[in-house]
Amino acid sequence: MRFSQARGQKIVSTSTAGTVGRVSGFVVDPSTSRIAAVRVKKAASGDTLPWTDITSFGVDAVTVDDAARITEASEKIASLSGRKRKVIGRRVLSTAGNELGRSSDVEFDQESGAVTAIVLNDEKTATGKVVGIGSYAVVWQED
Amino acid sequence: MTRLLRTSEITGRPVVTLAGEDVAQIKDVVYAPGRGRVGAFTLAGRGLFAGPLPVALAWSSVVALGNDAVMIADEEVLAPLEQGVDQPATSGRQGNVLGARVLTDTGTDLGLVADVIVQVSEDDSACEVVGYEIESSDAAGSQADTLLIPLPETLSASGEHLIVPGSVTKFVRHDLAGFGAAIEGFRSHLGGED
Repeated sequence: MRFSQARGQKIVSTSTAGTVGRVSGFVVDPSTSRIAAVRVKKAASGDTLPWTDITSFGVDAVTVDDAARITEASEKIASLSGRKRKVIGRRVLSTAGNELGRSSDVEFDQESGAVTAIVLNDEKTATGKVVGIGSYAVVWQED
Repeated sequence: MTRLLRTSEITGRPVVTLAGEDVAQIKDVVYAPGRGRVGAFTLAGRGLFAGPLPVALAWSSVVALGNDAVMIADEEVLAPLEQGVDQPATSGRQGNVLGARVLTDTGTDLGLVADVIVQVSEDDSACEVVGYEIESSDAAGSQADTLLIPLPETLSASGEHLIVPGSVTKFVRHDLAGFGAAIEGFRSHLGGED
């Protein structure tokens, strides 16, 4: 699934069957190339849903067992957030030191949260993994 | 695949950590003793008004020399220049290659060194000096303003002259395409003579 497809998806509590928020973005941990947390809007309890607290990341909805899973960002998540930690709209450098383009979208695995491919300049897709997200560039290791 | 680069193309390139931070830019190339290969890079800060940095980047710490950036593991690998490496190529009289006059061992003046051509191995483990770009004098038998001459493994050099074998003129090229083959040809030619 792509970030662009997941954005806006509703988050539903399996205990109350009610919508408890919507996906507004993603926090990626470059040390693991995985989604660390989902950014949430329109939730009462906070704006962050850690990936490990998700019951299922479905095609049409994200399920959680309790609305309280959505919390304020932990220190770790907060350190991975912010304008310079974003993955979309950034310069992408390969580990070989070549500029691949600008990131326009990201593909991820719904089971594991692993980032598996990056879409460059809205056209070509490079498979691989994130190794770094810094103030200068997203560093991408190509497969 | 090995790649050929002009060192002037490397200067100014950002030095980027694998974490994606640009920590410096390449200021100058420092050749290892004996001049056969690149030993290190001196660095300047990023930004228009940034000055030189007190630390350098040893070639052994380069993860990859790419078209757009020089990749390093992290900022920790930057360290002050060690003793025993030559002065930067474009500064300091002792180590200055650029502007030196190229003479063949038979006494022909080929011109002045305008740039240094290096070859980067496929895995970025070595960065070897393989030739010079010369602003030619007429003796090289060419109308072009600049030409590329391949280098043997060793050559004699002073701040004033670079001495190359006279047979080098047969392997002169005008652009980087095909220069790799000329280097191979020249070296096997020299090997055959010994």
